[in-house]
Amino acid sequence: MTDTQILVESVLQALVAGLFIGAIYGLMCVGLASIFGVMRVINFAQGDFMMLGMYVTYFAFVAFGAQAFGTAVGPFAAAIVAMPVMYGFGWAVHRLLISRVTGTRSAGMEAEGHYAQLILTLGVALVLQNGAMILFGAEMVSVRTPLSSAAWFVGPFGDGMALFVNQARTIAAAISLVVIVSLWLVIRRTNLGKSLRAAADNPEASIYMGIDVDRAHRVAFGLGTAITALAGGLLAANYPFHPFVGLDYVIIMYAGVVLGGIGSVPGAFWGGMTIGLVQQLSALVLPTQLQNATIFVFFLLIVILRPQGFFGRNVERT
Amino acid sequence: MTLLKRLLFAGTALAAAGLAAASAHAQGKPEPIQVGLIAPLSGIYARPGTVMKMGAELGIEDVNAAGGISCLGGAPLELAVIDSGDSVEKATNAAQRMVAEHPKLVGATGAYLSSFTLAVSEVTERANLPLLTLSYSDLITGRGFKTIFQTSATSGAQAEIALPIIMDLAEKQTGKRPQTVAIITDNTAASLSSVKRMKEGLLADVGLKLVSEEVFTPPLTDATSLVQEIRRGRPDLLFFLPTVISDSKLILEKMQEFRVRVPTISFGIAIAEPEVLNTVDPKLLEGVMSAVANWGKKGEEGLIKRLKDRYGEPWMTQNAISTYGDMWLFKTALETSCSRDRAGLAKALRGLDAGPSKYYPGGTLSFDDAGHRKGASLTIIQWQNGVPMTVFPEALALSAAKWPKP
Repeated sequence: MTDTQILVESVLQALVAGLFIGAIYGLMCVGLASIFGVMRVINFAQGDFMMLGMYVTYFAFVAFGAQAFGTAVGPFAAAIVAMPVMYGFGWAVHRLLISRVTGTRSAGMEAEGHYAQLILTLGVALVLQNGAMILFGAEMVSVRTPLSSAAWFVGPFGDGMALFVNQARTIAAAISLVVIVSLWLVIRRTNLGKSLRAAADNPEASIYMGIDVDRAHRVAFGLGTAITALAGGLLAANYPFHPFVGLDYVIIMYAGVVLGGIGSVPGAFWGGMTIGLVQQLSALVLPTQLQNATIFVFFLLIVILRPQGFFGRNVERT
Repeated sequence: MTLLKRLLFAGTALAAAGLAAASAHAQGKPEPIQVGLIAPLSGIYARPGTVMKMGAELGIEDVNAAGGISCLGGAPLELAVIDSGDSVEKATNAAQRMVAEHPKLVGATGAYLSSFTLAVSEVTERANLPLLTLSYSDLITGRGFKTIFQTSATSGAQAEIALPIIMDLAEKQTGKRPQTVAIITDNTAASLSSVKRMKEGLLADVGLKLVSEEVFTPPLTDATSLVQEIRRGRPDLLFFLPTVISDSKLILEKMQEFRVRVPTISFGIAIAEPEVLNTVDPKLLEGVMSAVANWGKKGEEGLIKRLKDRYGEPWMTQNAISTYGDMWLFKTALETSCSRDRAGLAKALRGLDAGPSKYYPGGTLSFDDAGHRKGASLTIIQWQNGVPMTVFPEALALSAAKWPKP
């Protein structure tokens, strides 16, 4: 192969990897944005909700996913099962804890309850991490599927140029896209979506219009938890995890949400996608060990050049 | 139960405890000698830290069953376990806590990752507390400290010992010596020490040309760019130096996906921890070799079985066997120093000359001025039928080495 062909192959390969991993990052960012966009709650436990989603996927896969659907389809079926389970978990966390420092109850609190929310979600994160350590142990596990090391082979072109498309990542990216489009349709086209948007735009006016804002918040929190948990479940096929895995991803989620424009659900997806692409493409020109540093250099550049993010409005400066 | 009954019950229990203590004192039962284990028991590295604890517990049990420290009236060893956490900052705090909260400690062992040991030893040196370590980094014993004792061969020394063995094995079993090599390494202290030594002449000494070198920060999220480089370079050999299991999985699976088939030699334990099998298909691991400081060897079958029976560990990694050996090393040195004094133990360890080492591969139970164990060698292990078997040194091997099929 010539140098140009080698370069083209490397760029295409990085692009494919970036798009697929970016789609999963996008999904986890959408989960966080759903919560922040509607409730304005900075949720530090979001990475740990993702970790729980990974474990629910793992146990669902071990308990019945592998037997019922086989090791190829089973991991994805198990990840989908994690969604309603984690919706219920998110709903309960909101009902029992978060609702005490948000919505109408935060009216008299300092900084509209934001300090209390930060402390509470940090506390929830610590409880989840250490609770998971006690329950599941420190051993790394993953949802084992042959698809994580299998690729669709595209090529060869020219003097042996080829493209390898990871099967597990491709299916995960496709599921992510379907979920994001479905969520967008729910938000735009249904009464539930209207109540969520109304509660996000003006909670007080929504109450006057007969919308149950607390319920809207609870639904948004449950949805955000379920979506991020699904992203974790999809990631679990390729990525071994442990009770502290959420810490590795929560920063990526926040960077994606801010890049996309705070409060914008499509923006959060594109923010996550951008992070995936920057992470993979940067390795073509910079040392691999700077992959994650590059994300934040790019993040700072965007914040300087376009403070409102890709899809944010000017008034909502990042 | 009425309040009066409860008080009576509590009073009786207290009196019984007091009597028992008084009786032990009257019989002249010696006070236990405290040794510390500082290792990660929470966070991402909790699993290897837990295995170190298992080794230490078995070691303490066996030392005490053998009569404890006879020179000190048969005083038993007692283990103080300190969680170093999963970051250098946490390890430093844990070390400070260890020396403050355990004033009776005479020595300690730890702290798993070289970067943790570097931080912990800064504290133990100031506290004059002898620290035994399995960590590999050359930096650990390169700072002129007087209380650090490295029981393993350093990373550089391990590479020096392993490379000629690997090259000879390739030549013997395939009929030709590999000419080119690619390196994938994370940027932890021990891995970088090995790679530094390789690039500073070791590769050239064994006739290998470096065709690509990729350094990454663990944990990886995707290994595409790393494996694409190996695919491009088409090396005869891959040297692979991860310290996190997830990185081992991502890279091995990506190699399979990209149809990169190259004999893979790892350095370190991340490729051979038992939980690797939770995440990686054993077929991908088959034949992969790794140079490690220590492993369950010939003659230790009984100990391996006890570890398996008691803790469910499928095999004995370096974390268990070396920490086990550390307890015996403490006993040997305490018998020499015959005191409960830290300075005395450090002096005894520095001057120790206890003959061939039993639980560490190669060399003797003696240390040079810097704290290296004299003549320390390594073990080479290979995945064979789903189990990492010791294949070198031949005298201690549990199976014969087979050159990995590309």
